[in-house]
Amino acid sequence: MLQKIFAMIWKDTIVRFSNKSELLFFLILPVVFTALMGGILTPEPDVDARVPLLLVNEDSSALAASLQDALAQSDTVQVQEMALAEAETAFTDEEAAALLLIPAGFGEAVMAGETAVLDLRQQPNNSDGDAAGEAVRTAVSAISQPVAAARSAVEEAESHRAFASVAARDVFFASSLEMAQDLLQDTPERIVLTQPESSNVDVDDYDPAAQSSAGQLVTWVFIPLLGVSAFLAYERTQGTLRRLLTTPTRKATFLLGSISSNYVQALVQMAILVAFGVFVMKVNWGQSLPALAVLLLAFGLAAVAFGVMLGTFVKTTNQASNLSIMLGMVMALLGGCWWPAELFPPAMQTAVKILPTAWVMQGMTDLIRRGQGLAGILPEAGVLLGFAVVFFVLGVWRFRFE
Amino acid sequence: MNEPILMTDNLRKAFGDNEAVKGVSFSVLRGEIFSLLGPNGAGKTTTISMLSCLLEPTSGTAVIGGHSITNDNLRVRELIGIVPQEIALYDELTARQNLVFWGQMYNLSGKALKARIDEVLEQVNLTDRANDRVGTFSGGMKRRINIAAGLLHKPQLLFMDEPTVGIDPQSRRRILDMVKELRDQGMTVLYTTHYMEEAEELSDRVGIIDHGELIAVGTQAELTKTIGQQETLRLHLGEGFTGEEQVHLFEDLPGVLAVTALNGEVALSVTEAEEALPGAISRANGAGVPVRTIDIEEPNLEAVFLHLTGRALRD
Ligand SMILES: Nc1ncnc2c1ncn2[C@@H]1O[C@H](COP(=O)(O)OP(=O)(O)OP(=O)(O)O)[C@@H](O)[C@H]1O
Ligand SMILES: [Mg+2]
Repeated sequence: MLQKIFAMIWKDTIVRFSNKSELLFFLILPVVFTALMGGILTPEPDVDARVPLLLVNEDSSALAASLQDALAQSDTVQVQEMALAEAETAFTDEEAAALLLIPAGFGEAVMAGETAVLDLRQQPNNSDGDAAGEAVRTAVSAISQPVAAARSAVEEAESHRAFASVAARDVFFASSLEMAQDLLQDTPERIVLTQPESSNVDVDDYDPAAQSSAGQLVTWVFIPLLGVSAFLAYERTQGTLRRLLTTPTRKATFLLGSISSNYVQALVQMAILVAFGVFVMKVNWGQSLPALAVLLLAFGLAAVAFGVMLGTFVKTTNQASNLSIMLGMVMALLGGCWWPAELFPPAMQTAVKILPTAWVMQGMTDLIRRGQGLAGILPEAGVLLGFAVVFFVLGVWRFRFE
Repeated sequence: MNEPILMTDNLRKAFGDNEAVKGVSFSVLRGEIFSLLGPNGAGKTTTISMLSCLLEPTSGTAVIGGHSITNDNLRVRELIGIVPQEIALYDELTARQNLVFWGQMYNLSGKALKARIDEVLEQVNLTDRANDRVGTFSGGMKRRINIAAGLLHKPQLLFMDEPTVGIDPQSRRRILDMVKELRDQGMTVLYTTHYMEEAEELSDRVGIIDHGELIAVGTQAELTKTIGQQETLRLHLGEGFTGEEQVHLFEDLPGVLAVTALNGEVALSVTEAEEALPGAISRANGAGVPVRTIDIEEPNLEAVFLHLTGRALRD
């Protein structure tokens, strides 16, 4: 039986890819769409690959200066320092993806151990803005470690004897900071410090490239999997199913073989698209590879089962292909593969819960945006497997062998 | 040789109101070529489909190699080979790939399968095209691969359902020779056709099927004997012959048993051809229809069919 299933996978793969246009659906369209939707193909206006960051520094403290230094060293952002009014105009005109304002009193607040406020503005839904935000956070955390050390030095000194003046205290702080920075540079192990004080920077983790990669993957894997219905119709119209049933091969083996071959092809396709996302698009597919695998495996089963069910309705291969493309597209669109389901009206968000595509996208969002692990996607994977069981039962029960 | 490999018992199949096979009983003996001869829609394919476990009989049963087709069909399917009427191959696969696939469906594998594929390719004379896609083949070549796929596992009983339909005379000749070779190698063949000449050339025994009923079974000698010393007088008529409507011209001639008309030709079943000939010619002339050619045929299966049904076998 296993030998026969392998034979069917081998045969179906040859049949499928003998049609060169199949590569279009298998590989080319998914990759092109992922790239387009993820923004990789939009031309870069700047030779400098770094993201421009407008910097307004209204604070004259040593700390503000070291933050500015840290940002200047960043590979991600290219700092353009200017006055607030000028920067705001440029930001409104979308000349830069992000604007960072270091307000007066920032260094003072940090030194006093109060909440220091940095004002970071990002263009909405813009991956450059996200990148700039990330760079700012890195710089903040780089300086906040020595800051914490220097501040505890100041506190320690003050507990022995009060500073003569605020100026004297500043000088002491600055030299402590310098010392701490030097020490940190020499010390390979980081000294674990408390959270950065200036943490009111709200960085949204939404990564549009990751989200759209996931949506495209689901779309382009889903449509061919529905195409299992075309394969079943092909075997019927070609007469090969009838011949097969005169050989010592069980009906169950035939169904299992046809399903396996489409499923295995889909797994290969998913692996390629995930790899493309990781290595070319540099998108973040979440923290947990097992969770991603479980979610995609469950989704593949639900999709191929849906295809088997379609296979009971259709008569010809053409009918099946057209229906798969149409249904696949509609279900992908409604399931939130092409834009986030959050943008749908609430009633619709509930209604689309009858679609497997909505569940896999919800799982993807859990992984990509919320950084969840295996436990987080188990409900979605469970629902998808439930879909798979229901569709398989309907499809196999209603399957016409003639 | 005299032991039956296949026995059917009152096999019946109805599609709704349409009774395609109306209870046929016959047996096929080991090592023989048995032909089911009948016109389009007679129920040949339906019978084969039941025997090859594709269709469940409405009633009745059959036993192949000691196994019931209804209760033990997996065993039956190991014993039989099929050459379906419609070509059932994957156009996208090469001839060899098709045979590898079908061989595996018969539980063959590895070296044994490869060697067997080389053998059958030789047998159907397509070794040199083995690595071409079947989709690029001519109708005759496809038919030969269609046959090869049914031979891979050396079946004890081979069903061939009209394997020569719609192909060129050379391919047809090759196929007929091959069927005889297979029989000589010890295979039993159940062959269906609506060509009388094929049944005559190949068969050890013939079953005549019409409207789902098996109306006669026997060797050709046995069948022709049932119609006595009957001959067929075939007149090829010229312009002015309108077919069916003028059949009555010949019906009441002395010695004429039955008349059929087809494509400007009229066939008279007669007891003595020389005796009926002058009358037939003068009737034609009287109606203003010129007689182009005249053939006198010895008793054959066509005449048997005509005698039994009052109709011609051909379309
Ligand atoms: N699946 C089916 N459903 C309904 N009717 C059918 C089916 N298969 C065959 N029939 C009918 O059964 C009758 C016998 O058909 P069958 O195909 O067995 O004839 P045949 O002798 O093989 O003819 P041919 O020489 O044209 O192949 C026909 O009237 C046909 O319409
Ligand atoms: Mg037929």
